Amino acid sequence: MDNPRQLLKRYFLRHRWSYALSILSIVASEIVMVQFPHLLGAFTDALQAGRVNGPALLRYTLWLAAVGIGYVALYGFGQMRNGTLGRKFEYELRRTLFLHWETLSTSYFRQRSVGDLLNHALNDVRSVRDALSGGLNILTNAVFLLASTLVMTFRTVSVRLTLVSMIPIVVVPFLVGWLGPRIRQATRQAQEALSDMADLTEESITAIRLIKATANEAVEQRRFTDRVDAIVRRQMGVFRRSALMQSLIPFMGSLAFVVALTYGGYLTITRQIPLGAFVAFTLYLAMLITPLQEMGFVFNYFQRASASLQRLEVLLTEMPDIHDERDAVALPPVRGEVRIRLNAFTYPDGTRPALHDVDIRVEAGKTLGIVGRTGSGKTTLVNLLPRIFDPPPGTVFIDGHDVRSVTLRSLRQAISYVPQDGFLFSTTIGENIGFSKEGATEAEILEAARLAAFDEVIETFPEGLDTVVGERGVTLSGGQRQRAAIARALLKDAPILILDDSLSAVDMNTEKTIIANLQRARRGRTTIVIAHRLSAVRHADHIVVLDRGTVVEAGTHEELIRRGGLYAEIYRLQETEQGVTA
Amino acid sequence: MNSLLRLLPYARPYVWHFAGVIVLVLLYNGTSVLQPYLVKIAIDEDITGPHPSVHGLFVIAGLYLGVSLVGLVANYTQVQVLQYAGQSVIRKIRVALFTHIERQSMRFFDTNAVGRLVTNVSSDTETVSQFFTNFFLSMVRDGLSLVLIIAAMYRLDVRIATYSMVLLPILFGISLVFRRRLRERYQATRTRLSNIIAFLAENLAGMRIIQIFHQEQRQARAFGELNDAHRQASVREYRLSVMFNRTFELLGNVAVAAVVWVGGWAVLRHAIPFGTLYAFITYIRQFFQPINSITQQWNTLQSTIVAADRIGKVLAVEPDVRDPEDPVDLTARGPIRGEVAFEHVSFAYIPGRTVLHDVSFRVPAGSFVGFVGATGAGKSSLMSLLTRFYDPQEGQITIDGVDIRRLRLEDLHRVIGLVQQEVHLFTGTVADNIRLFREEISDEAVRAAARAVGADEVIERLPEGYQTRLFAKGANLSMGERQLIAFARIVALNPRVLILDEATANLDSKTEALVQRGLEAVAKNRTTLVIAHRLSTIRHADEIVVLDHGRIVETGTHEALLERGGLYAQLHRKSSVEAVG
Repeated sequence: MDNPRQLLKRYFLRHRWSYALSILSIVASEIVMVQFPHLLGAFTDALQAGRVNGPALLRYTLWLAAVGIGYVALYGFGQMRNGTLGRKFEYELRRTLFLHWETLSTSYFRQRSVGDLLNHALNDVRSVRDALSGGLNILTNAVFLLASTLVMTFRTVSVRLTLVSMIPIVVVPFLVGWLGPRIRQATRQAQEALSDMADLTEESITAIRLIKATANEAVEQRRFTDRVDAIVRRQMGVFRRSALMQSLIPFMGSLAFVVALTYGGYLTITRQIPLGAFVAFTLYLAMLITPLQEMGFVFNYFQRASASLQRLEVLLTEMPDIHDERDAVALPPVRGEVRIRLNAFTYPDGTRPALHDVDIRVEAGKTLGIVGRTGSGKTTLVNLLPRIFDPPPGTVFIDGHDVRSVTLRSLRQAISYVPQDGFLFSTTIGENIGFSKEGATEAEILEAARLAAFDEVIETFPEGLDTVVGERGVTLSGGQRQRAAIARALLKDAPILILDDSLSAVDMNTEKTIIANLQRARRGRTTIVIAHRLSAVRHADHIVVLDRGTVVEAGTHEELIRRGGLYAEIYRLQETEQGVTA
Repeated sequence: MNSLLRLLPYARPYVWHFAGVIVLVLLYNGTSVLQPYLVKIAIDEDITGPHPSVHGLFVIAGLYLGVSLVGLVANYTQVQVLQYAGQSVIRKIRVALFTHIERQSMRFFDTNAVGRLVTNVSSDTETVSQFFTNFFLSMVRDGLSLVLIIAAMYRLDVRIATYSMVLLPILFGISLVFRRRLRERYQATRTRLSNIIAFLAENLAGMRIIQIFHQEQRQARAFGELNDAHRQASVREYRLSVMFNRTFELLGNVAVAAVVWVGGWAVLRHAIPFGTLYAFITYIRQFFQPINSITQQWNTLQSTIVAADRIGKVLAVEPDVRDPEDPVDLTARGPIRGEVAFEHVSFAYIPGRTVLHDVSFRVPAGSFVGFVGATGAGKSSLMSLLTRFYDPQEGQITIDGVDIRRLRLEDLHRVIGLVQQEVHLFTGTVADNIRLFREEISDEAVRAAARAVGADEVIERLPEGYQTRLFAKGANLSMGERQLIAFARIVALNPRVLILDEATANLDSKTEALVQRGLEAVAKNRTTLVIAHRLSTIRHADEIVVLDHGRIVETGTHEALLERGGLYAQLHRKSSVEAVG
């Protein structure tokens, strides 16, 4: 995938004329701006010499106004363009990031927290953008303002006066560069103290019954007060540093002014420079302090952005570990024969094989049931089929084609899947079911919902299919989520359907309805059902029993019962249990 | 606004700090205003005056340096004092708010979400703190700057000063309009950014689903739309802020030109010396900063009022379970025996929906009583009344013959201990979790308590034993281990009466045995009331109370109840089948 540095370079190249234009306009604005003190100085001299009359005064005034307006217009123009361009890059960077994430496999997301990834997408991208828009503006502004001010003072005032007066303010960028990161560090610590307090508050209120029942309110108050005191201490640490910076910078300016006043005044009294030059110089001095201060900030901006770019680079250069092989072909229309012949499968981050010695064959159009205890490898096994995790080459076949040799797109098109947790997006129920098929009609969605015995649930919602699920909407029960996920998978109507323990949270009657619907709707197509309750698989054409990563029994329900092994044992246990609940 | 004023008493102890800030701001502003004035004197008298004097110039320069130094010190001190005072006020408000929340009865927590309360304590107070720091400072400093600048201008020349005043309403007007719209756009950008965050969080978590249903392109398109909406909002916000800043700058530059025009004429007519014009040019530039800053604080004030309102609403709630006026001291009458009695108690969480009907029973001191019944039969409500999480509408509850409403809550809660189904852990060490951070419970007592319930072994096996850090959310203990810690807590606190809400979670047989032994250890020498979910727990209870729909339907020992063949016998039959499954 793209390296963000190259991305940045390409972006610059692509927009080189835009950038040239905006930088040019900022530079032009500085050149205009430095005329301001010069004009005032000239005006002062003219006034002193008695050369100013009505029309001349008007001319000076208009010139001053023109310079003021010209500067603002030019600088504003450049600033706006740079800001817009920076935001466009921010947009493109986020887009690249998301597209990249879409290519990465489940094992990648298993190893990382969503919070960390979000942090990259928000803060790292933003700090690059800030450097690109604000940083660039300020840098251009500061460099050229500094340069043109110096040129102006050298030319019109006095090189020596300028150099001597500048000594105190040259310190400013270093001061900012040094104190800036320290202030940021202190601020971060203060933030941590603040979130410590919030955490304690949450902890305490959540356990309020315990606290009340143990008369522990006073102790909690003490603990809370400790946290609040820590905040005060940390905040004061921030303010000690920031106050230092805030008061030292103007002081350096004043110091420079004292030098200018003494030396410049002396030069004026001894008539080495005219009064106008002195006046202009004091104004220039005031203009110098801001860019110098900003240089320090820009330095910090770029430092942060460079660290962010590095992190983004690591992120974007991550290679997708599940991808089309070089000579991958599209899977021809699928009949649905599945063959698994696996010596061993080990997770990329695992040490011991999660599956070993598995040999399963499902004829096209048949139903396979998979049972076994928690952790026996059922989910791992079915995850190999749509290549959520990659099986070793030559172990998993559909219609005789190795899944590793076909394109991901065609493979996944042939498979529909219901995850264990019934993962739904927080959009409407209709959009969730319709997720598997773009442009599905409402009738199709309702039919899929009916097959999943979810239609009666939808009817209880006043907004029907438009009911929003999740955070800001209706909270669905585990069973309802599973049924929605089943409807979603059925809408896709793929040659192979996998249900990964997706009936665990629905009640017995609903399970019966769904199984019956499936048998009718999926006639002639391959279905793989993982189940905890045997009632969901007993009608399957073929059942395999997994234990500790391998197939221990296989056969039809009757065969397995007769055999009297693990399956028969689970069956006996569950029958008594059902006697109670039913 | 009123809610903000009601928070002012918290600032009272720091009134001198705030006064000090005003003095320091005066001093600092004085030095700022003095600086151009000193230059004016230097120009008019020492440089261009009839008797130019290098010595005079040096004196002025020396003064200038001194004034700057005073300014430096005043500014630094001011920030420290103000922030200290502001932080201290917020500290007081936070502690008061937290204390107030913890004092509330359970009814309050039933209706207020934890997340909202946390927001009140952490971020609302943070917002209010800006009132005591930024807002206060801006009013003092910027208000003062404006006044001083205006005064200085009028002292120099009334006519030019009056012309300059035209700027005031214009600047305020422009600034207010811009600021309001800026805030709107800022919020629009924020909203759209949080849409992006929500979308990403969900899609990263569900990437598997997207890939299996090969909907990458569709989701990329959806993300593109959100991303683009954010970009547009962000660009709009940025453009407006550039417009605002540049407009202000433009006005400043034009104002200087105008001063040159007006002042220039005055100098030409010898109405004012040149130094005055110079000072005017400096002052007019200084005019803009404070106005900009004041309008910015207007926004701050608005969000502060909203936050103060929210805090005020919480502070206004009076706890409905309170200490009595003249409490009875239980210990004054000799050792507490721990006899519990309910007398004709009726209770409803919501008026009209009674959950307990005329419940009466007596638990002799030191006995072990079990409560059984279906979910919703009222078992938990009984216990919530005994701990006074709620007060009953009718009847009374007594301990050793004293109505619990006549006891101080703290005294009551020292007599009664509670073990809940769900064990809450706090961020801290295992030892702290057992002693609940109470300093008066020694490490020895903690160990003894753990030993008594058989938690000792389990704890010693943890990486750092009693000093192992636990986390409230990251459950690094198993359910059984958590239960044992909860038992150890009770032994360490040593209440006379114990309420135990048995955990429903299924434990493996080894832990089950450990927990059962722990329970027996805890119950020893105490009056124990157990809400049982497994009937085996209370098989040997001195008495079993069977509840149904908020009424007591049966009481007696295990054997007596079985013989009777009522609800208990029915429950027992069902549960023994379940135990097999």
